[in-house]
Amino acid sequence: MSGCAVFLSVNFDAEAYDLRSTSEDRLFGRFSYGRYGVRAGLPRLLAMLERRSIQATVFAAASDVQRHPDAIRAVRDAGHEIASRGADLTPLPLMKERERESLVKSRDVIAAVTGETPKGFRAPAGELSPQTLQFLAELGFAYDSSFQDDDHPYAFSVRGDLRIAEIPTVQALDDSLPFSARHTHARVVKIWREEFDALHREGCLVPLTVHLRGDLGFTRAARIAALEELLAYMASRPGVRFVTGAQLAARALASGERVEPDPGLAHEKTLAVTPYRGDLAVKPI
Amino acid sequence: MERTRLPDDLRCAVTLGVDFDGPSHEVGRGIAPLGTHSWGRYSARRGIPRLIEMLKRQDVPCTFFVPGYDAQCHPETVRAIDAAGFEVAAHGYLHEAWDVEAGEESRLLRQTDEILRQMLGKPVLGWRSPSGRKTANTMQVLKSMGYIYDSSDKDYDLPYRLRFGPNANDCIIELPNNTYSLDDFPFYKFSYTPPSEVLAQWKSEFDAIYAADRFVVLVVHPRSGWGSGTPARADAFEQAIAYMKTHEGVRFFSSAEFARWCLEHPRHLEELRTP
Repeated sequence: MSGCAVFLSVNFDAEAYDLRSTSEDRLFGRFSYGRYGVRAGLPRLLAMLERRSIQATVFAAASDVQRHPDAIRAVRDAGHEIASRGADLTPLPLMKERERESLVKSRDVIAAVTGETPKGFRAPAGELSPQTLQFLAELGFAYDSSFQDDDHPYAFSVRGDLRIAEIPTVQALDDSLPFSARHTHARVVKIWREEFDALHREGCLVPLTVHLRGDLGFTRAARIAALEELLAYMASRPGVRFVTGAQLAARALASGERVEPDPGLAHEKTLAVTPYRGDLAVKPI
Repeated sequence: MERTRLPDDLRCAVTLGVDFDGPSHEVGRGIAPLGTHSWGRYSARRGIPRLIEMLKRQDVPCTFFVPGYDAQCHPETVRAIDAAGFEVAAHGYLHEAWDVEAGEESRLLRQTDEILRQMLGKPVLGWRSPSGRKTANTMQVLKSMGYIYDSSDKDYDLPYRLRFGPNANDCIIELPNNTYSLDDFPFYKFSYTPPSEVLAQWKSEFDAIYAADRFVVLVVHPRSGWGSGTPARADAFEQAIAYMKTHEGVRFFSSAEFARWCLEHPRHLEELRTP
């Protein structure tokens, strides 16, 4: 692959995120950082992206889309791609028999609000069930962007002779973890710059994951300035172009070069006899 | 008993380790390696090839510690490690990061040994505990399979002979490691440290060791997420190696080579008896 593609993805994660820890009647105080993302963060981000002429891909849960249809339409009108992040932010492995129906809802709610069926999906908390890829392909999604296992997009082949592209991300280029650990934005900029330089040197995909939220996101005024400087730096490097999820997926599916079997099946036998111990030390975001 | 002291003509010994930690790391915990849990899938596809290329460029030996399950999932990768001239050692079956009852442990150690030995057509000589848990039973089993070293204990800065039982043969070379500072995962998993600061940390570790104990065990993981398989972190590892190479008299060994050196120089090694 010549040059270097930068995939700027935005996790909307507004009230849907706060509702993982509280109830509808308590979306105030410490549980209003999600609302900050919509009221203050999003306008600031959209203005910056317009200044820089960068197209982003915004992943939003259906419940957030229903709560903020005008904000979602503003994202669409600014020329960005809107993709699904599930019905709400409940991890899919916990949905059991309601999983497929929740994915249908996530697709249909976005289609109703934007007038366009979403092509992409990113799993809440990055957690997929062994059926998720199969369901997504059956429901017409062109790509998933939840794995963290490669330097370039590729494709999965699932039952029914269906394919779905995978656009892998990189944990080091997700703002939410270092901001959750209360690092300064200067430190996050330092990490992102080092990670970008090395990916750029090797011609790898540069998947950036930005959150809108006022706590673990990149949209406070000082942080947006830092992010803008980073994006300007990236844009100034040779061969760099900004791409959307749908563009990457179309290329991965058309090339057909790298198609992998459904990874949900490969470990089935071992998982069936292995007790769940959890991550032991790693907390999923 | 005399303390271990490396002879003057061995100015500083360095052993590098790459703990494979592929899908076994999640599957062993009952987690499907999907989505954010897919970091181990990066090891075989990208991390190991990138690190092999880098280690060849730096022209240094290295030991890859491989869980048996990962070897079954990625036999071609394990053979590629061996074909590139690097040592393959054992690292659990499903990366057991919990206490395992003695009988079960013996079965798992022998199963992984069998997998790696069959795959490579040669004996496996060493083991590193996944997560650093082990008992005297572990060492009995390792010794009975012909292993000459373990690299899991955290109790010293130099190699030593670890006597774990009453019989003459109840003894193994211990190459202690430190997973709080001379390892990549604490910085990338817990403190989200920029790679340049991790490199600075390793350089400062090396400077202090070069001036005193003269024995380095540096460990990284080829996975994505909290590992060093990705470009910026692989680069930090490479820079650390390049930095050590600029120092006079630094000799790089595979863990097995160094364990053999220890066996050949018994007078230089402390012997520790454990109850």
